[in-house]
Amino acid sequence: MILYHGQPNGPSFAVLAALEECGLDIECRPIDLLAGERHAIPGIRERVALDMAVEGEGPVLVRDGEAMTESVFLAQFFDEEAGGGRLQPKDPYARWQMMMWCRQVTERLAPAVALLGNLAHSRRRLAAMEEQAFAALTAKIASDDLRARWSALRNDEPDEAQVADSEGKIEQFADRIEDQLADGREWLMGSFSIADLETYGWMAPAANLKPAAAQGRPRLTQWLERVSARDGVRAALARASGNRREAFAPGPEINRWG
Amino acid sequence: MAEITLYHWEPNANSGKPMLALAEKGVAFESRYIDMLEFDQHKPEYLAINPQGTIPAMTHGDLVLTESTAIMEYVDDAFEGPALMPPDAQDRWRIRWWMKFMDQWLGPSFSMLGWSSFVGPMVADRPKEELEALIERIPLPERRRAWRKAMFGQFSGEELAESRRRVAQGIALIDAELGKREYVGSNSYSLADINIFNSTYGLPMSNPDLAGPDRTPNIWRWLKTVYRRPAVQQTWALGRGRLAERFKQIMGEL
Repeated sequence: MILYHGQPNGPSFAVLAALEECGLDIECRPIDLLAGERHAIPGIRERVALDMAVEGEGPVLVRDGEAMTESVFLAQFFDEEAGGGRLQPKDPYARWQMMMWCRQVTERLAPAVALLGNLAHSRRRLAAMEEQAFAALTAKIASDDLRARWSALRNDEPDEAQVADSEGKIEQFADRIEDQLADGREWLMGSFSIADLETYGWMAPAANLKPAAAQGRPRLTQWLERVSARDGVRAALARASGNRREAFAPGPEINRWG
Repeated sequence: MAEITLYHWEPNANSGKPMLALAEKGVAFESRYIDMLEFDQHKPEYLAINPQGTIPAMTHGDLVLTESTAIMEYVDDAFEGPALMPPDAQDRWRIRWWMKFMDQWLGPSFSMLGWSSFVGPMVADRPKEELEALIERIPLPERRRAWRKAMFGQFSGEELAESRRRVAQGIALIDAELGKREYVGSNSYSLADINIFNSTYGLPMSNPDLAGPDRTPNIWRWLKTVYRRPAVQQTWALGRGRLAERFKQIMGEL
């Protein structure tokens, strides 16, 4: 098994931290997601999950020639490979709550943070590329809609309505976290879980992009600090080279229907 | 109150997932039919159960559960009966991956095309003010936008074309997947089969240009197997409308 990952931010953070928390010994290879390196990983026989990941440019675990993607499910995979119970509650209703929370993160928070983060930090680098080099990069991308997100990031004017909507979604999610922690709990689901890792992966860079997101929300601020202080999380963050919080590549799309 | 109550519309797309999962597990439940065509899901009685106004929803004692795929996972975790997830971690990952692919990439395109051809004509003879009032009581803003588009036929040619592209590609990808394994994502019948069957059981009739015995032989083989499951027949027998008719028609042809 080899885990190909970007900087510990967004989905790459969640998966690297889950790996450390589960204590599995799996080779990790850093790749430059914004150089399109994810689409040139060698030795893959089954590639549909790499090509069609809803998450966009997230980490890829290659096992027996099969590309495995989607950060929440990779975290579940690590937990289950390690015997279970480290990152997922055992009670069925608590598991349902965790999965519902993670879905809210991946469907609402992640597309919003990815949009703003890419505009703030990745657009310039793509715009500075030669036309030919950019064409060579995107030619390797199998999914038409993911390729369209790369091109829009480089070539289109930012959509003001989408930017405003994304800023609003980050504020709403910050409120949701603040409310969730209101009973004094240490972790989002009570016990530490994938929900903490997936949420931190997007909320930490969101607080960097929009400092107002954490301001006036003391429980959110303290929770971010508690997560960063965990051994597994520190080990994952230590894999950074450069400013991890500014590392973005085209992510999940903004909901196109209902 | 019954121990388990399921609020659902027809066995189709989202409502059919928990219906079929419960049937496969052999778990008895009280059925509450929510008529989407009468907008029951936005009426106060239902919003008291699920304030989001989405169907299906399930209550188990005092617990309220929503979101069809997550409800299925709960049903498989919480009740005795045949396991609907295999033990191998990589198989489990693959099953989750295909369910997300359906729920978030392919499913919304099926839904947009279905709504554009179905919802608009269905409400065409109702006065505009009545439709506006129906939209007004939908709790989620994104659902309000979706219903408005569907009721007033405001889909752009571009977005419909994109949905058609995704449907064609998604069907081809599922066919390729079913060429590798007996069921979706693994060699045993699982939640992924229930999920994907609910959105593909009618394809040979609704999209004969994209799915059928010659075009998608693997989907065809798999559909024949799944259609014959007792839990599937028992669940579709609960259907009332044209979707149930479609099921019977295809069942007769297989």
